Amino acid sequence: MLTPALFKTVLRDAIRRPWQSGLMILGVALGVAVVIAIDLANTSARRAFDLSTEAVIGRTTHQLLPAASVGLPQDLYRQLRVDWGYRLSAPVVEGLGTAPDLDGQPVRVLGVDPVAEAPFRDYLGASGEFVPGLERFYTEASAVLIGPGMAERYGLALGDPLRVQVAERVETLTVAGLLQPRDERARRALDGLLLMDVGAAQRLLRLDGPAPRLTRVDLILTEAEARDLTARLPASVRLAPANTQAETVAQLTAAFQLNLTALSLLALVVGMFLIYNTIMFSVVQRRQVLGILRSLGVTGEQIFAMIWVEAALVAVVGGLLGVGLGWLLGQGAVRLVTQTINDLYYVVTVREAPLEPLTVLKGLGLGLAAALLAATAPALEAATVAPVTMTQRSAFEDRARQLLPWLFGAGLILGALGVAALLLITASLVAAFAGLFLIVIGLALAVPQATVWLMTLAAPLLRRGAGVLGALAARTVVKAISRTSVAIAALMVAVSVTIGVSVMIASFRATVVNWLDLTLVADLYLSAPVVGGSQATLTLDPGLAARAAAVPGVAAVETIRTVTVDSPDGPTSLVVADSQTRRSTALYRYASGDPDEVWRAMQAGAVIVSEPYAFRRRLPAQGGSVVLRTDRGEQTFPVAAVYYDYASDQGRVLISRGVYEQYWDDRGISGVAVYAASGVDAGALADALRATLAGDAAGAGLQVQVNRALRDQALVVFDRTFAITNALRLLAVIVAFIGVLSALMALQLERARELATLQALGLTAGQLWRLTFLETGLMGAAAGLFSLPTGFVLALVLVYVINLRSFGWTIQLQNQPEVYLQAFLVSVAAAVLAAIYPLRRLARSSVAAALRQE
Amino acid sequence: MFKRLSLLLVSVTLAVSGFWYFTRPPAAPPRPPLTGPAPDLAGFARALAPQDFSLPRDHGPHFDYQTEWWYYTGNLTAATGEHFGFQLTFFRRGLTPGAPPQAGLSTNQIYFAHFAITDVAGGRHRGLERFSRGAGGLAGATGEPFAVWLEDWRADALNADGSQVRLRARDGALALDLTLRAVKPLVAHGDRGLSPKSEQPGNASYYLSYTRLAAEGRVTVDGRDFAVTGESWFDHEWSTSALGPNGVGWDWFSLQLSDGRELMLFQLRRDDGGIEPISGGTLVQADGRTVRVPAAAVQIEVLDTWDSPATRGAYPARWKIRIPSEQIELDVTPWLPAQEMQLMFSYWEGAVRVTGLSGGQAVSGHGYIELTGYAGSMQGVF
Repeated sequence: MLTPALFKTVLRDAIRRPWQSGLMILGVALGVAVVIAIDLANTSARRAFDLSTEAVIGRTTHQLLPAASVGLPQDLYRQLRVDWGYRLSAPVVEGLGTAPDLDGQPVRVLGVDPVAEAPFRDYLGASGEFVPGLERFYTEASAVLIGPGMAERYGLALGDPLRVQVAERVETLTVAGLLQPRDERARRALDGLLLMDVGAAQRLLRLDGPAPRLTRVDLILTEAEARDLTARLPASVRLAPANTQAETVAQLTAAFQLNLTALSLLALVVGMFLIYNTIMFSVVQRRQVLGILRSLGVTGEQIFAMIWVEAALVAVVGGLLGVGLGWLLGQGAVRLVTQTINDLYYVVTVREAPLEPLTVLKGLGLGLAAALLAATAPALEAATVAPVTMTQRSAFEDRARQLLPWLFGAGLILGALGVAALLLITASLVAAFAGLFLIVIGLALAVPQATVWLMTLAAPLLRRGAGVLGALAARTVVKAISRTSVAIAALMVAVSVTIGVSVMIASFRATVVNWLDLTLVADLYLSAPVVGGSQATLTLDPGLAARAAAVPGVAAVETIRTVTVDSPDGPTSLVVADSQTRRSTALYRYASGDPDEVWRAMQAGAVIVSEPYAFRRRLPAQGGSVVLRTDRGEQTFPVAAVYYDYASDQGRVLISRGVYEQYWDDRGISGVAVYAASGVDAGALADALRATLAGDAAGAGLQVQVNRALRDQALVVFDRTFAITNALRLLAVIVAFIGVLSALMALQLERARELATLQALGLTAGQLWRLTFLETGLMGAAAGLFSLPTGFVLALVLVYVINLRSFGWTIQLQNQPEVYLQAFLVSVAAAVLAAIYPLRRLARSSVAAALRQE
Repeated sequence: MFKRLSLLLVSVTLAVSGFWYFTRPPAAPPRPPLTGPAPDLAGFARALAPQDFSLPRDHGPHFDYQTEWWYYTGNLTAATGEHFGFQLTFFRRGLTPGAPPQAGLSTNQIYFAHFAITDVAGGRHRGLERFSRGAGGLAGATGEPFAVWLEDWRADALNADGSQVRLRARDGALALDLTLRAVKPLVAHGDRGLSPKSEQPGNASYYLSYTRLAAEGRVTVDGRDFAVTGESWFDHEWSTSALGPNGVGWDWFSLQLSDGRELMLFQLRRDDGGIEPISGGTLVQADGRTVRVPAAAVQIEVLDTWDSPATRGAYPARWKIRIPSEQIELDVTPWLPAQEMQLMFSYWEGAVRVTGLSGGQAVSGHGYIELTGYAGSMQGVF
């Protein structure tokens, strides 16, 4: 179809207009870069997680899992191995801590029995060398083996001390050996892993004591053996295929990562505007050449192919650049994403973000698709125009003007489709994002017609305010609507995304602040730093509550216990409260009765569930129930209320301590809430508690926080969670800015002759600047204006649809006028700024040369 | 018995480092260079002087000493005539002195056990091993009542002084369930139970035996079950000993003769081809009195050898043992040549039959022999 001669035409054309080609490439590159960066962050986190679980799972086929995350009775392992003869079994104790001296990085403590390990794991490589100090591994409670990565990074050698904080306790462990992984993969998997003897790990993680526990038992079983074993097991434990646990944990982040991906795709959409704009411009600019080609017998299909090939070339070059740029951006994104995953979901150590071929392919593919899609309209335009009209300069704009109402209609239809998708397909998050995109694109399509209307309305005002130049500016915007409208639409999309995301975050934050104020009613909180979000079970010194209660000035203490319990629907986060925390009615979304009645129901065996939990399990507002696996087997608990909770997007179940202790054997505590006696200053009491409780070295990691500090800490995590969202939002604005810049440049370059004519007629340099600024300012203002309703709609969708479906949270929408004002100003400023370069170029060119051009 | 001590040390080191090299493909049998440091003896009690024993307590573990083992061997005959040999051995290794802590799976004790049955009629010998930490009921030993176990391989006292025990071991199609009754009194080897391993003081063990126990029970081989009776030998030994520098291996004999006498002999082979002078043994008279047999009083002549196809070890396979002072002259022949324990560390431990003279009278008998250091020198291992 495309002859070599035509292909050469395409190439020469692209080379002859380096600025436009460059801008198109930049448009693709930026869009692809953002997509790549987010994909890189998502896949690196997932890969690091898979790698570390893979290393820990080894050749395990099945795992014996406890009812609650506090573990299995240790004797079950003896029974399994000695009485029942399942000798391919290994006890595992696993937990999380932090290493204060290693940049406070989270560490995974893995306790194993070396003699039972061989069939299961080979993180140890095949060196066969005797590791000095190995006997100490068994007998010294502080002995720990680490991988070479950690050892090298922190200069740790054999015998060096290594401080580790688990719950509130800071322990000094000793490096008793260095693991020698057999390859790079195994080496990465060992990062952040502290290998200990199972007995030592039990002690460190507080699983020893009179009823010692194991985190789980790993097994290698055939399916038949697994069936036999299942029949023998007590109802409190479950035999599960080895990968299910890891799979469930990995699923936790699905919604979070999908949100990031969607946001990154928005950047690509903005990039598409840029490509469309540039290609459209090149079509318009070359209309004469194209017309001649058509007259010479080149078919419409060939013209179409020419434009597409041009777009494809740009896409490939831009895509490659985008991959590189995305890799750079990705390094930062990985940090932000990992931080959030560590804050909210599970611990994962990501040291590097290698570019996977799949990511590269995805980026290049998306870039190419976006470019071809964006080029389709200009290519069709070029291919369908008759040879004669094509050579006429005004023909194109005329056609564009005729198209506006159609575009407007199409936009409205797309928007309506989007709304329909949001309202009708209520179960799917992907559908919600699709709806969101349809609405945004629909509104963008409506921009050109709206711009014409706006300029028509504004022209009289401008004439009055800025004279002829004002009217001229408004007319220019309309006259070149095919290009100005694209720039306006791109800017509008970017700015409205900013508005939507800002309003969503601000609303969310305000809701969380309000909720924290209602929830944090105690004066002081004793806790340990949380590692690994909701998945970790922290066990504090059980005597802590009693010791705190004895401190003068303490009126009352309450304990809290957070564990993960098994359920037919997968792991469930369970919060155990030992008394009614004077709950406000405002904390309940649905309740059967007032807070006192709810509490009475809870003491009688009911539970209350958080809003995300009710949302995820599709619980009815009234009369729902929850099935949980207890140490007495599966039990059904009626739900007395649904409460607001923004601490976990997986949802939580709250149970009274009395009921918990009836069904579970665990007696541990995870935190203590302290109420000060009246007249006692919380700050002074905190100091007294610190002095009494945290004075000894073992309790050095205990956090004693006043109400306010805990609230602030929660907000720090909140803000950290949205750091990546903010970064993405900024990137979208940058892409839009470049879009506007390129559109204006194209516009100004195209108008060189017109402007030269005006200058020849007496337009001064100052007037030229004013005219241009007026034009771009008008465009910015139009984009800003259009972005206000669009941003509002986006915020609505984000708050009421996306967030709800991703996380199950009800957020109170709060519109802040300053967000909208700011967006408008940014829009105008971006447009005006974008005019500076073309103006400077214009100022340098000579009027006569410009006039001679045609 | 130095031989077993050495074996124990080798095996423990292997067990511990097994963690490391077990990850190799099983096709290549593990034989890593063991270059670990000498075991840390600090804090452990040493066997320095004879002491009084109290039963059943002294059948149980001695956590102040580093190493300890309980060795059951024997020859069994089925009602249908088939002959079997068996070995069930429990080893304890203390990594630090003292009893293990009673907290979770924490421990300072490693146990391992070897279990073998020789099926003479079937021409088969099978040997198995297990390892375990001494915690959480997985493996352990007690004196009152006497018991020692590793998972479901176990020896449990049936009476107060531990002279009667039940032995049980099972692994797949191989199983043993025997009741043993001592028919002769406990023997304390060496000097009232103190059995020196070299000239160096403290390099010795406490060594007690039931040299003849009547055995009755069942043996399962390849899923076939046999009712059996026969005779067993029990050794219990504990020590904290350093390793000798020149040993390449050892031969150990436990023979039960039809005239009611038993003979225990050991010789430690040196790298220069000689025998450690401390070698020797004990002759137990029919009435239970014991006679120490110094190395110089014994002549052991190897009449035949057997080459292991699996490990290429060249083992002695027939002996002539003479103790002229006791008018003993015995021909000792393995029931099967192939009784090699191809475990983490390979050695030969097998049932033998005996004919010859004792006190000038014609006797027959049977016993067990252990041979180490033939499948590769033990030197360099330490």
